[in-house]
Amino acid sequence: MAETIEYNGKSFDVDEDGFLLDFTQFTEEWLEIVMKEEGIAELNEEHKLVIDVLQDYYRKNGIAPMVRVLSKLTKFKLKHIYELFPSGPGKGACKMAGLPKPTGCV
Amino acid sequence: MAFISSGYDPEKPMEGRITDIGPKHYDQFYPEVIKKNKGKWSHHEILEPGVLVHVAESGDEVFTVRCGGARLMSATHIQEICDIADKHCDGKLRFTTRNNIEFMVDSKDKVDALKADLSQRKFPGGSYKFPIGGTGAGISNIVHTQGWIHCHTPATDASGTVKATMDEVFSDFQDHRLPAKLKISMACCLNMCGAVHCSDIAILGYHRKPPILDHEYLDKVCEVPLAVASCPTAAIKPAKVELANGETVNSVAVRDERCMYCGNCYTMCPSMPLSDKEGDGIVLMAGGKVSNRISAPKFSKVVVAFLPNETPRWPSMTNAINKMIEEYAKGARKYERFGDWTDRIGWERFFDVCELDFTHHLIDDFRDAAYQSWRQTTQFKF
Repeated sequence: MAETIEYNGKSFDVDEDGFLLDFTQFTEEWLEIVMKEEGIAELNEEHKLVIDVLQDYYRKNGIAPMVRVLSKLTKFKLKHIYELFPSGPGKGACKMAGLPKPTGCV
Repeated sequence: MAFISSGYDPEKPMEGRITDIGPKHYDQFYPEVIKKNKGKWSHHEILEPGVLVHVAESGDEVFTVRCGGARLMSATHIQEICDIADKHCDGKLRFTTRNNIEFMVDSKDKVDALKADLSQRKFPGGSYKFPIGGTGAGISNIVHTQGWIHCHTPATDASGTVKATMDEVFSDFQDHRLPAKLKISMACCLNMCGAVHCSDIAILGYHRKPPILDHEYLDKVCEVPLAVASCPTAAIKPAKVELANGETVNSVAVRDERCMYCGNCYTMCPSMPLSDKEGDGIVLMAGGKVSNRISAPKFSKVVVAFLPNETPRWPSMTNAINKMIEEYAKGARKYERFGDWTDRIGWERFFDVCELDFTHHLIDDFRDAAYQSWRQTTQFKF
């Protein structure tokens, strides 16, 4: 299931859906890899805020925040999060932030 | 095969993107006679198993021929369904909520040709492509799930068990000999996608061993608090674990004596797999219903705690189901659903006549509500 992506001298272990297998492998280069996959032209401050909030919440709590918590912490409505990350908060933002793949009946 | 673009540009994924248009409106696909008489139906009649007639206030009639479908079907098969609809029904057809196929015609003389056409179509293996039936006090299609075809949490197979069961009860699909309709459902794990919790007879995939923990990856691919919170019996707690290489990682510990193998934690956490060839099998449940007719809706209750997965035909399972149906057909009164029958004769009598073993597994032990399922009366039969 695992494969390794080499990019700018960094290597990342990812699964078949392109999620990082290890949160600690996250680097700035990872953002560029996912940007291309997710069709995001450039990262602005709002993208970075969402990613920071996700990573901060994950480090503190061990889980990704619920969508309503993410909305509240970033002050972005869900609609705006989709504008930033077209694949949505799970497949787009969490993947870019290096969080584990969402589970359950998705 | 070489790549053929649909016109989508992966460089500009949001350009020309159409969203939120929803399904097509159903009135675009009405047969003429349905469109004309919508909301003005006077009465209906079941002419024979699988054939209905609805009569409108205007006197218009629509004849419906219902036939079984395997639910999991190829585009070739759907093409053949369309060919039949083109030939007999002006290109219109519908699927039922139990995944049967209904062909509608607007006059009686078209029914025989349609029926003859449907019944002569067979697969090379010999099974009927479009068996007519599924109406009235018989057994209609089995509502079922994905099983080993597509899902990652099943404890048994769906399509296989369903085919084995429908072969066994096929005569009841084409007959009305039962006291009331009998609905059979199937779910391949106790997520219970579908209708097993409210069906007359239900087939349910079941595990008998606790999850295996992949400590090396658990904290990386799982959100540990979710795995802990997914457990209905609180058998899971966070733990630090030392790996063989001496590294200490965050993981979870499972108290096996509290685990009842529901598999919820595996749903949330890929590092806790629990399917097992010998351990996994089937639970049978019975006595559920959703309609409000005479008695209120009921949940189905566990009547067989475990039957092994016997691929490809599940003989122990089909035998037990057959026995239950035969005793129900013999013992129940007209209009009595399976659960109405067991409630009237008493569950001790049900286990007696169906020759099913009553084991301690069948006694509810889940939280406070379990108490309500015990017998707090001296009324029982020896």
